[in-house]
Amino acid sequence: MNIIVCIKQVPDAPSIRIDRERMTIIRNDVESIINPLDRVALEAALDLKQKEGGKLSVLTMGPSHSEEALRETLAAGADEAILLSDPQFAGADTLATSKVLASAISRVEPFPDLILCGRQTIDSDTGHVGPQLAEELDLPQVCGVTEIHVESNALVVKQLSDGFQNTYRVSFPALLTVSQGLNVPRHIPLGELEQAFSRGRVNRWGLKDLDLRPEEVGLSGSATTVLRLYKPPQKRKGEIVSGSSQVLAEHLIAKLVSLSVLDEDEAE
Amino acid sequence: MYFEPSMKHAVIRRTVRKFAEEKLVPAAAEMDEKAEFPARLAAEMGALQYFGLEIPAEYAGAGLDSVSYAIVIEEISKASGAMGLCISVHNSVSAFPVYEFGNAFQRRAFLTPMARGEKIGTFCLTEPNAGSDASSIETAAVRDGDGYLLNGSKIFVTNGGASGLNLIFAVTHSAERGREYSVFIVESEREGLEKGAQEDLMGMRGNPVCPIVLNDCRVPKENLLGEEGQGMRIALSTLDGGRIGIGSQALGIAQACLDASVKYAKERYQFGKPIADFGAIQGFLADMAIRVEAARLLILRASSLRDGKLPHSRESAMAKLFASETAVDAARVGLQIHGGYGYSKAYPIERYYRDAKVCEIYEGTSEVQRIVIARSLGKK
Repeated sequence: MNIIVCIKQVPDAPSIRIDRERMTIIRNDVESIINPLDRVALEAALDLKQKEGGKLSVLTMGPSHSEEALRETLAAGADEAILLSDPQFAGADTLATSKVLASAISRVEPFPDLILCGRQTIDSDTGHVGPQLAEELDLPQVCGVTEIHVESNALVVKQLSDGFQNTYRVSFPALLTVSQGLNVPRHIPLGELEQAFSRGRVNRWGLKDLDLRPEEVGLSGSATTVLRLYKPPQKRKGEIVSGSSQVLAEHLIAKLVSLSVLDEDEAE
Repeated sequence: MYFEPSMKHAVIRRTVRKFAEEKLVPAAAEMDEKAEFPARLAAEMGALQYFGLEIPAEYAGAGLDSVSYAIVIEEISKASGAMGLCISVHNSVSAFPVYEFGNAFQRRAFLTPMARGEKIGTFCLTEPNAGSDASSIETAAVRDGDGYLLNGSKIFVTNGGASGLNLIFAVTHSAERGREYSVFIVESEREGLEKGAQEDLMGMRGNPVCPIVLNDCRVPKENLLGEEGQGMRIALSTLDGGRIGIGSQALGIAQACLDASVKYAKERYQFGKPIADFGAIQGFLADMAIRVEAARLLILRASSLRDGKLPHSRESAMAKLFASETAVDAARVGLQIHGGYGYSKAYPIERYYRDAKVCEIYEGTSEVQRIVIARSLGKK
């Protein structure tokens, strides 16, 4: 099974700061990590590769520095890393990003049986890129997958949505976006990191390597504009309950269940 | 001159930090309290190559440079001083000399299992009557047929209780040169080697430090590391790297003190505001942060020199000395910031306080480091 995993390098959550004039997240001088759900997607791919064989490629669109994230995926076990980097790609919204990714994937030999993405990123949180990419490539898609099983000519996947669990059978080639809970990403052996950074290879593709026009990519290819980016004020609400200790305890348990801190079995 | 870490170093730091936060932080207090070495965790770290940091891949090591090595030990020590001590000693003064001075047979037979973490290593120099004055050791190796007979006792052996292989420093005699020193690789299961009970120490309690006694312990000549009489050279060249390790350990503890203190100072309210808003506390935190940063730069400088195969004895001594004094100071000030809570086991700062102190003592006391540094002045 040949797999492509699309990843994004994102600022590590605690260090996120906002550029109020340009309405963007400040990415210089901030520690960057592989988006946590993309790491889950990579782990799923590594797992499938181990069971089914095939080639595992990792793709990202981003500035030069994204090479760091790609090398980390090589260390984890990816066979090939492709960095889509071009000054013309800058300022892309999710639509322009999906176009670039789709065009690049069409160039990868052989065309993948499966494309995996994280369901959303911790920086912009749109959840758009996976579905748009599937549409661009005209592939079946399931979003927010929490289980993947391989059958002879299809995948059986589970998805949680609105409190229901849905099970789908998806034929190849397909695109899945993955959710938390699918797996726990492995720790990478230190020697693999050393190898990936000293000897690993990252392919770089720019606009000239893709079948796209300049007006389809970056800021000019974007359909949306961010008008305002701000940190919502944190609202803290206290609740004062009175009554006997029995009443207070029951209230507290009910509250914890409603907030999903406890499940009902534990509450019993 | 560029002071930012390379991509590789940034990723290695992050990878180790994630592992340490996930696996070691939750275990550290219990390791200390029960004075228990977590063998299962160590095995997990072995699989991730924490026991072969600078050992090349052909011997199952990670093949890291010294800067990476320093970063790994700092991050592990930030979570658990005892585990930082374990991998620092194993890598720098046990596995590394076997690689550096070992022959093809020794590298294959001893180094590979060490790099995999299957055999944890020790460095047995210290004796009841030989500490800073290493030349006064009494453990003796006498030629016995095609091998040697070892007798003597070693104390304060870091990793002792968990070790599979031990580097034993012993006195040998040569007809031409007289009294000299040699190093032997001695398997823990070898007859005549006995481990004593774990030392009841003030800090680093999760490390199984114990005495090792050699009683007519016979080792084949294949277990002699390097050549007969090379012992002092092996010890001295090994200790340069060891000092970077101990410095990194101390730095990790100092950083842990700083992080814990910043967190506490923001959470603790007195007189209606967080104590971090008070000038006195801010002064404490700022001074801690400066020293931590300076210690890190000294360590990175010493390890960069080592990577460039340049002399680094003085720089390692400076880094080790400054980082360990920084750790002790950061623990003292950090505990002060925590006030009464700092004196209780409810917060980790008291463990850092106990763990930090030994960094000023082992692998060359601060006093010895100052001699090394002073002697090197005016030599350029």
